Amino acid sequence: MKPIDVNWHIRGVLDNNRKILAKTITLIESSLPVHQESAREIVHRLLPDSGKSIRLGVTGVPGAGKSTFIESLGVMLTEKGRRVAVLAVDPSSTRSGGSILADKTRMEKLSSSEMAFIRPSPSGGTLGGVAMKTRETMIVCEAAGFDVLIVETVGVGQSETTVSSMTDFFLVLLISGGGDELQGIKKGVLELANAVAVNKADGSNRANAEKARKEYESALHLLRPASPDWSPPVMTCSAVEMTGIDDIWNTVLRHREKMISTGEFSEKRRMQSVEWMRSLVDCGLREWYYGNQGVKELLPELTREVEKGLMDPTAAAEKLLSFIKK
Amino acid sequence: MSENSKKKQWEQAAGKDLKGKSPDTLNWLTPEGIEVKPLYDSGDTAGLESADTYPGIEPFVRGPRATMYSARPWTIRQYAGFSTARESNQFYRKNLAAGQMGLSVAFDLATHRGYDSDHPRVVGDVGKAGVAIDSVEDMKILFDQIPLDQMSVSMTMNGAVLPILAMYIIAAEEHGVPQEKLTGTIQNDILKEYLTRNTYIYPPTPSMRIVSDIIAYCSKNMPKYNTVSISGYHIMEAGADSVLQTAFTLANGLEYVKAAIASGLNIDDFAPRLSFFFGIGMNFFMDIAMLRAARFLWNELMGRFNPNKDESKMLRTHCQTSGWSLTQQDPYNNIIRTTLECMSAVLGGTQSLHTNSYDEAVGLPTDTSARIARNTQLIVQEESQVCHVVDPLGGSYYVESLTSSIIEKVRIILKEIEDLGGMAKAIESGMPKMRIEESAARKQARIDMGKDIIVGVNKYKIKEDAIEDVREVTSQVRDEQVARLNEIKAKRDNGAVEKALADLVKCAQSNGNLLETCLTAVRARATVGEISDAMEKVYGRFVATTQCISGIYSSEFGNSDIIKSLQKRTEDFMKKEGRRPRILMSKMGQDGHDRGVKVVATAFADLGFDVDIGPMFQTPEEAAKMAVENDVHVVGASSLAAGHKTLIPALIESLKKIGGDEIKVVAGGVIPPRDYEFLEKAGVAGIFGPGTVITEAANRVLNAIEKK
Repeated sequence: MKPIDVNWHIRGVLDNNRKILAKTITLIESSLPVHQESAREIVHRLLPDSGKSIRLGVTGVPGAGKSTFIESLGVMLTEKGRRVAVLAVDPSSTRSGGSILADKTRMEKLSSSEMAFIRPSPSGGTLGGVAMKTRETMIVCEAAGFDVLIVETVGVGQSETTVSSMTDFFLVLLISGGGDELQGIKKGVLELANAVAVNKADGSNRANAEKARKEYESALHLLRPASPDWSPPVMTCSAVEMTGIDDIWNTVLRHREKMISTGEFSEKRRMQSVEWMRSLVDCGLREWYYGNQGVKELLPELTREVEKGLMDPTAAAEKLLSFIKK
Repeated sequence: MSENSKKKQWEQAAGKDLKGKSPDTLNWLTPEGIEVKPLYDSGDTAGLESADTYPGIEPFVRGPRATMYSARPWTIRQYAGFSTARESNQFYRKNLAAGQMGLSVAFDLATHRGYDSDHPRVVGDVGKAGVAIDSVEDMKILFDQIPLDQMSVSMTMNGAVLPILAMYIIAAEEHGVPQEKLTGTIQNDILKEYLTRNTYIYPPTPSMRIVSDIIAYCSKNMPKYNTVSISGYHIMEAGADSVLQTAFTLANGLEYVKAAIASGLNIDDFAPRLSFFFGIGMNFFMDIAMLRAARFLWNELMGRFNPNKDESKMLRTHCQTSGWSLTQQDPYNNIIRTTLECMSAVLGGTQSLHTNSYDEAVGLPTDTSARIARNTQLIVQEESQVCHVVDPLGGSYYVESLTSSIIEKVRIILKEIEDLGGMAKAIESGMPKMRIEESAARKQARIDMGKDIIVGVNKYKIKEDAIEDVREVTSQVRDEQVARLNEIKAKRDNGAVEKALADLVKCAQSNGNLLETCLTAVRARATVGEISDAMEKVYGRFVATTQCISGIYSSEFGNSDIIKSLQKRTEDFMKKEGRRPRILMSKMGQDGHDRGVKVVATAFADLGFDVDIGPMFQTPEEAAKMAVENDVHVVGASSLAAGHKTLIPALIESLKKIGGDEIKVVAGGVIPPRDYEFLEKAGVAGIFGPGTVITEAANRVLNAIEKK
């Protein structure tokens, strides 16, 4: 294996060399301890050059048109001269652990733009989930000079909380869906939203989308807003017809201005740092714990015992946790 | 002796043959999910609504015409086109002299997608998989000395259907043939493009308006012209089984009928001019039954609109033998496959037929292979004596029962589509595409396991099997086209062109007939690209959303050692490298046939690869950028439209330019063996032709990656 030249990575990222940026992300995502160690050093040394971008999280149920929305938003932003990085977490792993990453097929224009960098990440096989790695990838992209970061997740799992805890603005995309107003999106996800947009407000669907917008608006009223200075607006847009995209972006900017003026912005970023530290510790603990030789030996055995009903779960857990005390 | 006791006797006899096992153990479950028994008898056809009918009258199971081939055989219509209009024209005239009865024009992919030959996105596509047409001048050369008032011409065009049909009409007009005398068919079946072939330009809604406008114009001005050829062929080639092919094709047809009626037309004014186009595969009796079932169902579906004319309910179809069933290995076997498929289409009662050339798994047909393909039909038609009797399999217990089973299965899917709100809505939901891809992945797994046998590919393999002689289209074609484009643009009245294009934009925004408006633009020498751009201003260009299934390939394999050993190999790779082997599957150029890419993607993911899928129609530069940004180990380039010698070396160059020299490139698809050396010299690490077993390909790709 080639030795890792940390300086080569850092210089390359700061020069905005795409290839080196890509290789650095690979390093961050790697499951090998030696890679992770170098990645930590790189991220650590790039931290002073990070933090200046607008960090936007986008989520929505499958079929809400997230990728198409990001394509439209991204193209609009690059046309305004912004440099956009899109980090997509793809959940479509198969039983064997391989993933199909097809996001870019929906970001045809953006993916070919020199102003944009899109990196879909497979979710399979990393401890602590890819969302964990996304935070570090964001730092690297910022150091490479991208001034808008868009993190895309699917609005069905737990990754939303993580993503909202690493972005400045969290957008939930919905579509109008015949009466079933919350479409399987968890109430908890809506509580994280800084704005909700009803996508696919185009053609014959425009009226439906407007109706859905009103419904979501009243549903959202029942939730307590996360900030006293910001009540999340509910908007409509069409990623296909490129309508409402501008409004959403202006909302992001307005939110940012407001949060900066009230001091909430820096407060939130500080809290996010704390959150980051915690999750690093969590992740480190898990890695350390599951890497313990005794645990490795005992875990499968005790799992079988509990499965067969030969041992009760609390006793098994106690036995397993005894390694921590050693 | 009663029927029942005879059957008991047979069961006993069969039991003896099978050493005590029940004959039921011989039942075969077809990919369509139809249980086929070893023996059929009168009990299987008793009471069937589709049995005991007559040809030429409702429900048309036995044929749309009363006398069928006994009075006039099917039309031998070979699909061809390549290079320049002049070369194609010479090829057509030669074929007509050799016994071909109708023309069928293949256009190149640049034309399909509405680009002129000088567009930067189509460098690898001009004249490759069809003839390049930029303006009416090209069209006039294409039909030079061909009497368009006597010759029926079929044109496979869906995306750029307006400029192409307009150019055909104006070319005829300038050759002295008025439009009302024109006979033939324009494919104009846009819905299936969103399902399989991807040669669309605009989004579905405006595309449906284009279809309706063409139906409206032609039903008024071109009474002998078929306005839509509702095509199952591409659906089959994308991997659909015969039930899926029938269901989605009929559902597409129904959608056009609804659109035409919604635009104010009377069913009897256009329905008789709708024709179909089915693909015929290697399941001999299944596809005979499929054509019979399709006729029955179309009659049933059209009956809902209460037409007065019988012709409105009558399904007439062209057929083509399967290109996908052709193999690169032991290629003369393909002549036999095509003969069987030809017989299947004939016994199913097709109205016209294209038989494939044996070398089409590796490239464009030569004069020799094209002659053999045509002769296949001529021999069946003129030597085999099959034409004397209408629907000779009518009343066959098996065929009648199979026909009825297909009808039942298709009805279930049609109902499902109706519940989704019709085919346009169903396509939006992604349902049909997923079903087709699932069917394709299962088929591939069965072949890779050796469950479905293909002689020369997974059984009875031979060593030397290469086809050396294939037709090659040089890149000079593009230069020639570009020169003529420049000449036309210099000579024409540009003011008139601009006005005509502005009128077209207005028409697209409002209500006029788009085809009628296009005629003026074409007369003024506006090009395919200019006309397409004008409408794109209003409608935009459609971008497909790619979905991909997973888990199907490995589940069809079941608990197999080959799969497990590959999964272990990717797992070991991950332990060593810190991530899974990552491959970018890319389709460069304007070719939209994505079955290969999709099947490989889903299979590779099942085997433990991380698979990136590139957007359709990438340029080599775009594919390279994506490969580097995603930091993949290897790019798999799929080429089916003869662009490999241009696009793949360009990809390798682009990779080098942006620092991706470590990224390996492998290629798959229709690539003539004599080009292997050229590609390997250019740096291609592996070439996978038709018939490659995917598990084997996966191992070779891993070897290439690990070699470093």
